[in-house]
Amino acid sequence: MSTDTSNVGADREGRGRIERLLNSPFISDLLSNRLALIGIAIILSMLLVAIYARVFYDFGALQSSRLGGSIPDRAAPGWAGGPAPANEMLFGTDQAARDIYKRTMYGAWIAMKFGTITVGVSTVLGVTLGIIAAYYGDVTDNVIMRTMDVLLAFPSLLLALALVAIFGAGLWKAVIALTLVYTPRFARVVRGAALKVLEDEYIDATEALGAKDPRILFRHIMPNTLAPITVQSTLNFGLAIIDIAALSFLGFGAPAGSPSWGKMLANGVQFGLQSGRWWMSFFPGLFLALTVLGFNLLGDGMRDALDPRMQDAMD
Amino acid sequence: MVSKRFVLKRLLLLVPVLFGVATFVFAILHLSGGDPARIIVGQRASEETVRQVRQELGLNDPILVQYGRFLVDVIQFDFGDSYQISKGNPVREVIATRLPVTLELALYGQAIGLLLGIPLGILSAVKQDSVLDHVTRIGALGGISVPIYWSGPILILLFAGYFDVFPAAGRIGSTIFLDKQWTLAFDLGQYTLTIAEDLPLTGMVTVDTLLLGRMDAFVSAVMHLFLPAVTIGVYSMALISRMMRSSMLEVIRQDYMRTARAKGQGAKITIMKHGFRNAMIPVITVVGIQFGTLLGGAVLTETVFGIGGIGTLIVSAINATDYPVVQGAVLTFALLFTLVNLGVDITYSYLDPRIQQ
Repeated sequence: MSTDTSNVGADREGRGRIERLLNSPFISDLLSNRLALIGIAIILSMLLVAIYARVFYDFGALQSSRLGGSIPDRAAPGWAGGPAPANEMLFGTDQAARDIYKRTMYGAWIAMKFGTITVGVSTVLGVTLGIIAAYYGDVTDNVIMRTMDVLLAFPSLLLALALVAIFGAGLWKAVIALTLVYTPRFARVVRGAALKVLEDEYIDATEALGAKDPRILFRHIMPNTLAPITVQSTLNFGLAIIDIAALSFLGFGAPAGSPSWGKMLANGVQFGLQSGRWWMSFFPGLFLALTVLGFNLLGDGMRDALDPRMQDAMD
Repeated sequence: MVSKRFVLKRLLLLVPVLFGVATFVFAILHLSGGDPARIIVGQRASEETVRQVRQELGLNDPILVQYGRFLVDVIQFDFGDSYQISKGNPVREVIATRLPVTLELALYGQAIGLLLGIPLGILSAVKQDSVLDHVTRIGALGGISVPIYWSGPILILLFAGYFDVFPAAGRIGSTIFLDKQWTLAFDLGQYTLTIAEDLPLTGMVTVDTLLLGRMDAFVSAVMHLFLPAVTIGVYSMALISRMMRSSMLEVIRQDYMRTARAKGQGAKITIMKHGFRNAMIPVITVVGIQFGTLLGGAVLTETVFGIGGIGTLIVSAINATDYPVVQGAVLTFALLFTLVNLGVDITYSYLDPRIQQ
């Protein structure tokens, strides 16, 4: 019986939390921001496209197969004077007669998947390092933050390239390289936020009550740094997608034939630029830019909703 | 004014960071697992030759000895000789010929970003919620969302392909020959005495063509540089105008702005005299940070437009496992980025002397 009531209590507490979150000024500000809503709409549509492509398209076929004897290489989209059947050639074909439409759709899955992994892992690493640096201070703080400083002393794409020179090429290796590039940014933001939280008296109170370090770190400090972390993650999501595709574009990420946006754009430059075959570059780039725009719109909206100073400036 | 002590302190703070950067660059070679000696002599060379080269390179020494030697060399900006790309030539020279190309691109890109971004940001803030403001804001958001390796090809397809007004690639027309020597010929009756010497050129085509007094070549260089500079400049314009707008909006609401207006000063003068300087402070930081993005952008822009700068050098060096070149190029970029940020810090403290305390 007693377990039952405690469960009900926990459930009620959980529901109360969600209600509180939904009624919070942050969420209501965010939902009243038209641009942020457009951002959410773009991201959700891209997610749907990504999942649809992942479920219904055959990855192997997208990578290598030719569409069949009647379809030529580098054909313009059906509606722009390309070969029939037009509905199959919505975005035209690439240098190996592959359907750019399907490949672009599948590219959404690759971008979302590897973007999520990059941002997710670097957020977790950055938060952990940032909180530890802020809480323990002194030598720990110095060792962690000076290491971060060194990583931040490189322009981000250059650091990624240097790491690729160590690890070798490949999508997963590119993700590892970019995770190391993004971690210092999160560590810095979180450390700053955590230092502010540490000034609050309730941390002293918790310590006086005999709470152990990990409990203070992750139960009391981390939740209070969640807001800036979320904004930082959203804004960096767009950048991560651009950087992963950039490494693929330069030939250090996705392998040849991969339906990733970066690789498709590389094909567009290599096989479509001089001959004016614009569709090879246009469509994958458009989807990439739209996705990044979605995350930037949402991230901007979140930042404005979080920063009351900006709100005043906006009114 | 900027105190000497402040500058000195900033310089001293750089030492550990640069030390860390050098250590990381050293690690590039030793963590990558490839055998430099094997790369130099090729796959078909005998084991004996490889051993000999390894001995010559000092790769058999303890790692700490190698590290110490590397640090001493790096201070003199010596990375040894290139393995592959420019086989046998000092990396320092390879970089010296490539660096001006990248710098030229970055400088023009930055100039476009500043010249357009700052006025747009100010106008957007002053005329808040006007059509111009909305267009600028959404345009700027679009600008930072569009990757360079998409905007570049699209610009080429449009302006080099469809409209055919700009060249698609390269730095100068292929029919233009720049004679980098000046010659003096003395007629001494029987003999002709000719003095020929290389002109001290910068390596930046738009500057060199002017130094040589070749207007036709200069025009060609500018036409070639236009699309790449715009590609890279749009991105930095978007970042700068965003920061300028939000910074100006905050400044406009300050009491001193109202006071200035209350004492009868015109709106334009108030904004330019009191607003601008204060609003520039955060913008300068953004300029420093985005210079790193600009250098990364240079890698992509050079690849798209087929320009042989440090960016394309680094890409081909990684592909050719030419580690000394990778090391030299990465360190050059990090050094540039760090120095620009140092300059930003000093400018910052000049604009806001409170920082120095």
